[in-house]
Amino acid sequence: MTERPTEVDSPAASADATEAFNRYVIPELEVMYRTARSLTRNQTDAEDLVQDTLLRAFRAIERFDGRYPRAWLLTIMRNANINRARKKRPDLLDDPDLTFERSVDFAETTGPEELVVDPTFDASVTDAFAELSTDFRQVVELVDLNGLAYQEAADILGVPVGTVMSRLHRARKRIRDHLAEHGLDSAAALPRGATR
Amino acid sequence: MKLFKKMRGGLSCDDVMEVLQSYLDGETDTETARKVASHLDECTDCDLESSVYQNIRVSLSTNKAPIDPVVLDSLRQFGERVSRGEID
Repeated sequence: MTERPTEVDSPAASADATEAFNRYVIPELEVMYRTARSLTRNQTDAEDLVQDTLLRAFRAIERFDGRYPRAWLLTIMRNANINRARKKRPDLLDDPDLTFERSVDFAETTGPEELVVDPTFDASVTDAFAELSTDFRQVVELVDLNGLAYQEAADILGVPVGTVMSRLHRARKRIRDHLAEHGLDSAAALPRGATR
Repeated sequence: MKLFKKMRGGLSCDDVMEVLQSYLDGETDTETARKVASHLDECTDCDLESSVYQNIRVSLSTNKAPIDPVVLDSLRQFGERVSRGEID
């Protein structure tokens, strides 16, 4: 990326592009960053990926029709992430799914201060989550932690929505089974009082 | 093995288990959501199972790793500079 001088010779962005970018892109920054963090599992890489996505989005903003900005941005991010991974690891050219394999564990990024309600239940959920395979953990992160819809998660991972649903449901079932193994399934269900 | 299926809201317990997670995620159609809600109102077993999954979802979202506001602000400033054509 190149920084332009902000003085007289800087060709100003069109007012429409600036307005569209501020309307459609900036409000999605937090979701973009959370998603980037899930994809890269590294804060610095996540920031770089968001910046790359912002630049690509701005170049394309005048062709964007204004519908589903999040899905549009996540598709851009997915492509940017694949390109970044290919530059780092040319051997991954034929298997972009492997670009998502990272070693950092969820438990390492979540401190005990985050466990605010029913710590035994939460600790067991966290343990079970950490034991999930990367594919399963990733969909749980995207949907349950980052709040993406199934289709949005499918778009960013480049898999069918049925795959997201299958992985997500099986992942939660494993967490649920882990709770049952520790006697926390029925007893813990009631105190928290989550409502439908 | 279940000897009989409880029918509530036009769905059996097995039917509800099939779609429960999608229902909790708001990913079912309106008619299915209505039937599931009706079943859960009348079926203690399925309602308890639903509560377990809801608590798992709440627990996971509670454990969401916090975002450093400085990082988010820095990205916002970067985005604003991009929008003004100062970085390309």
